Amino acid sequence: MPLLACRRLAFRLAAGAAFVLAAGPVLAADPAAELVSSTATQAIDIVKGTAGAQRQAAIQRVLQTRFDLPFMAQTALGTHWAKATPEQQARFVKATETAEAKAYAERFGQYSGQTLTVGKTTSRPNNVWIVESRLNQASGQPIKLEWEVRQLAAGLRITDVKIEGVSMVMTRRSDFNSYIQQNGGKVQPLIDELESRASR
Amino acid sequence: MIASVFKVAARVRASVAAAAVAATLLGGCAVNDTGASEVWDPIETPNRFIFSINRAVDVMAIRPVAVLYRDWVPEPAQKSVRNLLDNLGEPVTAINEVFQGDPSRAATTMARFLVNSTIGLAGLFDVASMMGLERTKTDAGQTIGIWAGKGVEPENGGFYLVLPLAGPSNARDATGLMIDYAIDPFQILPIAFNWDWWYIGLPRYGLNAIDYRSRTMFALDDIEKNSVDYYAALRSAYTQNRADLIRAKRDKTDTKSELQRRDNLALVR
Repeated sequence: MPLLACRRLAFRLAAGAAFVLAAGPVLAADPAAELVSSTATQAIDIVKGTAGAQRQAAIQRVLQTRFDLPFMAQTALGTHWAKATPEQQARFVKATETAEAKAYAERFGQYSGQTLTVGKTTSRPNNVWIVESRLNQASGQPIKLEWEVRQLAAGLRITDVKIEGVSMVMTRRSDFNSYIQQNGGKVQPLIDELESRASR
Repeated sequence: MIASVFKVAARVRASVAAAAVAATLLGGCAVNDTGASEVWDPIETPNRFIFSINRAVDVMAIRPVAVLYRDWVPEPAQKSVRNLLDNLGEPVTAINEVFQGDPSRAATTMARFLVNSTIGLAGLFDVASMMGLERTKTDAGQTIGIWAGKGVEPENGGFYLVLPLAGPSNARDATGLMIDYAIDPFQILPIAFNWDWWYIGLPRYGLNAIDYRSRTMFALDDIEKNSVDYYAALRSAYTQNRADLIRAKRDKTDTKSELQRRDNLALVR
């Protein structure tokens, strides 16, 4: 028994050391923080190795495997989700997915050697974790990033990112809601707009 | 000299009156806010009107200058300008930190101001940070938010307001802006000594606008590009960001309420 515990500890230390080498100053023993830091590492690798449409496709794959995009889309649509037909819902999810991939590919286009320091994780009820982190810039103050991670049937997934307190999902929700209100409370004009933007 | 003292007194009185009015308005909406609801925007039509004018002015005048500033002015010069402007803002931060119940932070801020104003050559160099005196920035909007009481979520800053030129704000933060203006020594001194505003105030606000615009370029461009209703997206982002700043101060020792709010949010979803 002590041997087993010892071996487990050694394994953990080795895994931890490997992690530190891979992702910088990360001392993550919990899966939520590991998800965040490995996603960041993956994204940085993509940005360094690819460009243009190839980069967008690679980013989209990361989003699909690490984020729960349908959940995020549903939250962003808020109360209008229930009013939409299944066909509308599917089109909406697809359109927001492309929009997110495009947005992230563009954001990372400005990448200039920033690093992500993952901080403490807070566990919440309903299998939700909040992972705190800082994006260190070459000059100026680091940027505060908080990740909302959920345990879902498919595994651990990121469901929201808060940048300096601004939740991406809640901002989208406000944005979409206002657009729907202005277009007679219907979801279809929003979907059309998002689809036309995605094809642009 | 006496006339100028009167001028200061009149300005302070006007600001206090405005603060009282705004406080009444704030009190009127301090109920039933979970933080998950939409931003309260009863004057959306005039707000959107001001917003569109601001955008036009920004596209034609402010943004191009900010781009030039960001891309053509050498990095050290930009840093010195920022240090200078930050240093001028330090007394206001210190006063607010006192009223936020953080006198030790206020003392650090004042120490920073004294060090940077002298050794740092009138604030051009941030010597204090090298000495380990960490910079903090706060304003009266945050002070009001902290004192608004536990019943008022920081997301609730009264009605949303778009100010001409200054942009997104709300009843709380606009009141804070007026208070900061009234208590700022670098506002009071030029009036007391009858210096011309065009030589002191204008360069400061002009540089501040360009510096601030160049720093917010990336974030604002991002929100504009990735939203279907830029006005609504910015309204939400502004409100969340301000709330986050206030909450961080309010719950310095107790993060429980923030976590509870998030759980409530999850329930709303």
